Amino acid sequence: METATASTSFPDSSSPRSGRLRRFSQLRAYTQNISSGHRSRNSISSRVPWLSPSPGTDSTVTQVGNSTAPCPESDQPTLSRYTSAPPASSHGLGIDQVSSTDSSHSTPPNESNESSRTSNVMARLRSASAVQGRPSRTLGQTTTSDAPTSSPDPSAATNEVLESVDTPTNDIQEGDSNQPKQKATIRFFPYQDTYQSSRPSLPFVPVTRSLPSESCVVRVGRYSERDGIPIPNPAEPSDAPVGFKSKVVSRKHCEFMFINGQWHVKDVGSSSGTFLNHMRLSQPGMVSRLYSIKDGDIVQLGIDFRGGEEMIFRCVRIRIECNRSWQQQPNEFNKNTENLIQNLGKGDNVDYAGCRECSICLGSVLRPYQCLFMAACAHVWHYKCISRLLHSPDYPMFQCPNCRAFTDLSAEVDDSNDQDVEARRAASANVSEEARSETQTPADVPAANNDAQQPPAQEAGRPEDSELVTDVENLHLQEGQLLGADTESRGSNSPAPDSSSNDLARSATINIPGFQPTLPLNVPSGRSSHLRADTPVRSETSDDNPLTPRNDSGPLAFDGRATMQ
Amino acid sequence: MGSQKRIGKELAELMESPPAGITVNLVDEANMYEWKVLMDGPEGSPYHKGKFQIKLVLPTEYPFKPPTVSFATKIYHPNVTNDDKGSMCLGMLRPDEWKPSSKIGAVLEFARQLLSEPMPDDAIEGRIAEQYKNDRKHFDEVAREWTRKHAS
Repeated sequence: METATASTSFPDSSSPRSGRLRRFSQLRAYTQNISSGHRSRNSISSRVPWLSPSPGTDSTVTQVGNSTAPCPESDQPTLSRYTSAPPASSHGLGIDQVSSTDSSHSTPPNESNESSRTSNVMARLRSASAVQGRPSRTLGQTTTSDAPTSSPDPSAATNEVLESVDTPTNDIQEGDSNQPKQKATIRFFPYQDTYQSSRPSLPFVPVTRSLPSESCVVRVGRYSERDGIPIPNPAEPSDAPVGFKSKVVSRKHCEFMFINGQWHVKDVGSSSGTFLNHMRLSQPGMVSRLYSIKDGDIVQLGIDFRGGEEMIFRCVRIRIECNRSWQQQPNEFNKNTENLIQNLGKGDNVDYAGCRECSICLGSVLRPYQCLFMAACAHVWHYKCISRLLHSPDYPMFQCPNCRAFTDLSAEVDDSNDQDVEARRAASANVSEEARSETQTPADVPAANNDAQQPPAQEAGRPEDSELVTDVENLHLQEGQLLGADTESRGSNSPAPDSSSNDLARSATINIPGFQPTLPLNVPSGRSSHLRADTPVRSETSDDNPLTPRNDSGPLAFDGRATMQ
Repeated sequence: MGSQKRIGKELAELMESPPAGITVNLVDEANMYEWKVLMDGPEGSPYHKGKFQIKLVLPTEYPFKPPTVSFATKIYHPNVTNDDKGSMCLGMLRPDEWKPSSKIGAVLEFARQLLSEPMPDDAIEGRIAEQYKNDRKHFDEVAREWTRKHAS
């Protein structure tokens, strides 16, 4: 096993021609994977180091490229691994470009077509500029004088290079360039390789590390009591070492570091090896160079010893989650979701652009009166649909079935407010004010209809006042009810309580300008008792809580279905 | 059951606007979990002009568990087992790669894509994959032969 993997790391002895062909076919497979939205297992081919990176030359390059502290000697074999050809050939360069777009590519940010279309354009522009920005660097290494993209090479490889330059990458780079201040966060999740070996790896609690500063390094090694009990998910930024209780993990095994917006892993001389997507990084006891890692990569520490039957001899397989910070900041997708949720149940007039469906049942999540669940990544499902993923054996860890982001459902609620949130809250408060006045109007209409069925004396008012009348009547009925609570029992037998409540009603309505005070007086005594009988219902539904919109016309009133029928 | 509702939705959608070269039907009208798919061999591939019958079986846990795709028609392909099962190895159908948000339409389109561009590095039939990689001409010949014999 060890020798086998070691030889895949340095297969420089293979014949160049067949090796090159094989790379092309892998490449084709890879681009095909990407175009079909499928995350490939062959992501080894995406790991191509930049030839001779000089840190901080220009921003596009440093974002895309990986190793910033390379040792040139060790770069050489890895390059030949991908090209199996002299580095001067334009083939090699072409493949480098493909791989650069690949390595920056991870799972698509969301399922929304619109936003991915826009990011598509962005990505195209970006990758185009990245290509333009690169030749100066590559020329320094190679002896050919033409720029890689413009080299008139008719082979299929260059075609595919051009194609893959067009393949949509995602917003990771965008997010990185927009928020230079963001914290570098990396998370480790246990990964069970169900594909090749069915043997389980070491289970562990997911670990989160946010670096306090860019120069910090997350050290990974065997768990030791002397280090104290490590906190898997500290609330504060921390670069505390990560320990695993396995004998196949060396005390100092590997390190993760964040350099120029890119996470890297490095074996620091482990005896049983660090594997990045099944590729061993260094010989036993040797320090490896830096390897860039991306979201979804699998890092394996050590190899199962004695078949891994005992827990303590199992290797550790880590699924890396990084570069996800674009998901945690306000972005187009989650802002859009916020809007949708705010507008939920506000009738047909609301803009439902970017309408979403529940990816489990393919039904709309925008019907009012549904129990929804929104994950931290702003994907939304019906609670009923998603519940079996929530209450899984992995609880409290939840993996979004749309974007595979992990969240800890038991995590403390983050109620820290920054200015942005405050501003938005103020804005949304205004919106809800307006919305309230809007939603109350249709609710008042049925009330007016109710009154229209009542004696003609009610309809005497001027038409534009009719709404006011009903409002005011609600008011006086409510006040009458205070008094009517005990007069109810005496009921309609004696007219005395009626007249007293009418008096009170008059005093309430008399101040309304333009209102004809005679109207309430005209109410027959029999009717007022009838009205009083249905006041409790009203006070429960609407008057207690003015925020609750009234709905007197049935359960479908806000649904939009009522109008369709 | 929730899965039936979703399957019904997807079936209706696929019947109404089927993807190119793919027709979808139920094996048995009463059972929504077994689909009969007819796939035309894509142009430019050795499977061109062949009609391949595919059985698509949905688990009751669908969409939480992936569907299985198997070729009822014999086909010479590195990613399809060369036995009477004809199971197809699709990356997106692996349990750890599967997402509930993937739809059957996407699965079928991916399967058809795999006919035009086999993935020898992800192969299930190592010998055919080896041949595909090293002796493409011969592979095409055999695949065309099989298509003529079994799929027309």
